[in-house]
Amino acid sequence: MVNFELRRDRIVARFRDKKTEWVIEPRYWRNPTIGISILLVLPIIFYSYPHLLTMFTTANLYAAIAIPLALQMLGTGRVNFGPQLYLGIGGYTAALLNLHFGWSPAMTLAATITVCTVISLMLSPTTLIAKGLYFSLITLILPLTFLDVTYIWGDLFRGEVGLVGMSPLLSFAKVTWNYIAYYYLSLFLMLTYLLFCDRTVRSRIGISMAAVNENENVARMMGVRVDAYKIFFYVAPSILTGIVGWFIVHTFRTFAGVTYLPLDFMTKILIIVIVGGRAFLYGAIPGAYLISILEDSLRGLGPVNYFVFPLILIGLIVFLPRGEGLWGLYKKKRPRDYFPKLHVRRE
Amino acid sequence: MSNILLQIIIYTVIWGSIYLLISLGFSLICGVLRIFHLGYGVVFVLAAYVTWFFMEDVHLGFWPSILLMFLVQCAFALFIFYKGVFQRYLEEEEVLLTVSILIFLAVAHLANYLYPVTAGVSIPSTIIDNVLSIGGVTIAYQMIFAALAGILVTAIYVLWFMKTRIGLIIRAISQNLPAALLMGTNVNRMYYLAMILSVIPPTICMIMIAPFWGVDPFMGASLLMTAMLISILGGLGNLKGSIVASYLIGFIHASVSFIFVSRFMGLAALIVTLVVMIYRRGGIFAGETLW
Repeated sequence: MVNFELRRDRIVARFRDKKTEWVIEPRYWRNPTIGISILLVLPIIFYSYPHLLTMFTTANLYAAIAIPLALQMLGTGRVNFGPQLYLGIGGYTAALLNLHFGWSPAMTLAATITVCTVISLMLSPTTLIAKGLYFSLITLILPLTFLDVTYIWGDLFRGEVGLVGMSPLLSFAKVTWNYIAYYYLSLFLMLTYLLFCDRTVRSRIGISMAAVNENENVARMMGVRVDAYKIFFYVAPSILTGIVGWFIVHTFRTFAGVTYLPLDFMTKILIIVIVGGRAFLYGAIPGAYLISILEDSLRGLGPVNYFVFPLILIGLIVFLPRGEGLWGLYKKKRPRDYFPKLHVRRE
Repeated sequence: MSNILLQIIIYTVIWGSIYLLISLGFSLICGVLRIFHLGYGVVFVLAAYVTWFFMEDVHLGFWPSILLMFLVQCAFALFIFYKGVFQRYLEEEEVLLTVSILIFLAVAHLANYLYPVTAGVSIPSTIIDNVLSIGGVTIAYQMIFAALAGILVTAIYVLWFMKTRIGLIIRAISQNLPAALLMGTNVNRMYYLAMILSVIPPTICMIMIAPFWGVDPFMGASLLMTAMLISILGGLGNLKGSIVASYLIGFIHASVSFIFVSRFMGLAALIVTLVVMIYRRGGIFAGETLW
């Protein structure tokens, strides 16, 4: 027998020991609904502008990398300066298996998840071994070393030019439909990540995560298995980032380490996390769209855009609310309940 | 076999001494300010391109260009990095690191825009344009001078930190900041000094290595990586550790280059660093002090 209970802001349904809630208070669902609706309508408005659709798809993918990174930063209390490492690992796994063994995208997805899991598990002890800043430096070096590897084994990875000609995820007769389909797929991927990360942060795991983030020693004293949480929050976001690499491979059908592994790409992702709001999950979406639009608009300037782009990013950091970015602008008007906050420790 | 051994020994000393010059400034900032200067690569770019600018576009001589370039380096270190970034974002580590990298990228891209690789930027700092042969191993004289400069600058720095009063104050700040403040130290002034001291070794390094290393706008990234590896391996901010780690990395690079293939040397150094990190979390000299 299902029992329904009407509360002030939600309807609670109970069946035996299971409980499901449906939030009815508009302030909880109105803004996410408006945001998602805008994102859903975008391709209809910009139907005849393929380059804009590609830009929005890129923005969704940037957000899909930034959201797990924000979760990782919250969960480990450390700043990962090399999130693009797993993007490279995932991308190259999918591309190489597809090109050399003819594996389908479904099979390369399984392989990407497996490879990212194994490698991230192997590297996860760095979250325990390396103290705060050491962790940042090591994670900064790893993707750059991987980039070196793509040059060293240039025959395999095609370091300079990258791999091309991988199987597409979808293929429609009309090119515009492809753009729209890939936009929606990237949106689905990004929203799935947001949902996963949001649920994780709001769950019991999230409470433990916040405790680890606030003070590891106190969390340990309270019975939280700090090491296990840190490994989980290193491995899970790494896999999610790897999947984005897989998606890029089968969407753009080209993948080059030289595009995704250098410092330039890493700073873009970190800027999204910072400009969106210091490791605030929702902030990653406006942050990603802002960076993507900015990047695309500046291309018109020609070669000078490579110099102007970092300057504008510095300007964003300096002039947006200190440490809270776009989320800070929003929060000023609408103070909300507690949300885990990033604490980067030096010890 | 003995020839390879000799090559490894000679190039360990030469590369190790050059790596000392590359990493000394990075270690110094880590040790005194207790932050990672991810914009450190800027120093190398400015050293090469500002000198070139004064020589080629302003038509100044070599030494006036070097002097003006050094002033630009100091101004950049003090006003852009220290006042603009470090002081402002000291409590927001990830913002501090990101802004530092962005400044480095902006400077590198500006250099690339103004003087692309095709512009043929070169610093005429060759002292003797010849090679020396020791037991069948040939070494460019310029490399030997760069190595000697590395040893000399490091010796001067170590002596200065150990024997002078200001060196003592800087070591005190590095060991215990609150205690140093209690003793009436003007920490800000010492930080300014540390910032200036940190640009000298990489600037000398760039001028010395430019003739044989080559100059390109993005060289700062690889040199920064070398400096970071040495600092991590040696123990962040510890000069003793930096000296040992420089020669260790030099040895790894020389061994891998002469026994296997030179393209693996970066990877080998990283693996050794990670292995050392597992057994000694804080690096070889995990003292968290300057010396």
